[in-house]
Amino acid sequence: MAGLKTIIALSFVLAIGFLLVILSSALFHNYLTLLVVATYVVAPLPNWICGRAANPDDFMESSGSGVIDFGRFLTGFFVVMGIALPTLLWHSSAIAGGAAAMSVVGGLLIYGTIMSFTLFFQEEQEF
Amino acid sequence: MSSHRLFRFPKPAWLNSANTRTAGVYAAGALFSLGFYMLIDCAVWSKSAMNPSDPPVHITFVDWIPGICSALGMLVINSIDKSRLSADSFSYSGNGVAWKARLVLFLGFALLAGGLAGSVTVLVLKYVVREYSWPTIWMGVGNVVANGLVMTSSAVLWVAQNMEDEYTYNLAL
Repeated sequence: MAGLKTIIALSFVLAIGFLLVILSSALFHNYLTLLVVATYVVAPLPNWICGRAANPDDFMESSGSGVIDFGRFLTGFFVVMGIALPTLLWHSSAIAGGAAAMSVVGGLLIYGTIMSFTLFFQEEQEF
Repeated sequence: MSSHRLFRFPKPAWLNSANTRTAGVYAAGALFSLGFYMLIDCAVWSKSAMNPSDPPVHITFVDWIPGICSALGMLVINSIDKSRLSADSFSYSGNGVAWKARLVLFLGFALLAGGLAGSVTVLVLKYVVREYSWPTIWMGVGNVVANGLVMTSSAVLWVAQNMEDEYTYNLAL
């Protein structure tokens, strides 16, 4: 199912996301919205690191699941941060409303791409 | 297990699945993030051009104390291994592990409740009593909402982690 078309579609969506974020910063001459890209690039990292740190085969050991939970908690934190940060900057009139909306949409597109990419291509490696 | 039930309505089955647990942990992170950034929003807004107060009203360290207390309380509560709370009824625990766990947990809940109460105190004493109008009073209201969100996040995380016990219990048997 994960073929060439998926890769093309995903890269297309990723490009649109980056376009929106870069436009939101370049159109308004205010480069604070680039923080959204950094946020969404960092967002999948905690799950990845904590997934490696914990041993998922241990059902009796409860300490491993604590690490995984912490990674998930951080992921939820970063995803909402990507929406909250432009809203915060807009509320303090550091960036314009249009820039905030564009960067939120662009950031969600980027994060969605990263997520669906790992969803499509992770299973082949594991089994 | 079902014969030891206390209430008439059984716990719905979806509450015990691993997926609900995962969603709960994600939701807790999201709620904490909302609360945290609401706090940051108050501080940033206070120094921005949007703050219209004429004798300037700014966020000081007093406004941060409730948030710090809430975050510390959340950290303490969720650091405790929940299975230790009933540890005294089993044989493997000596030295009163459950007693210690309950003491630390009490400290955590006190910090959390103190954070929420402290934010209301700051709102009343710093903003309501001096009769500031709406855009200025946001710095106090946002503080209360942020602490409430941190508390909600802590509750969600607590429930999600208690689900885990039942889940692993079902797996172990």
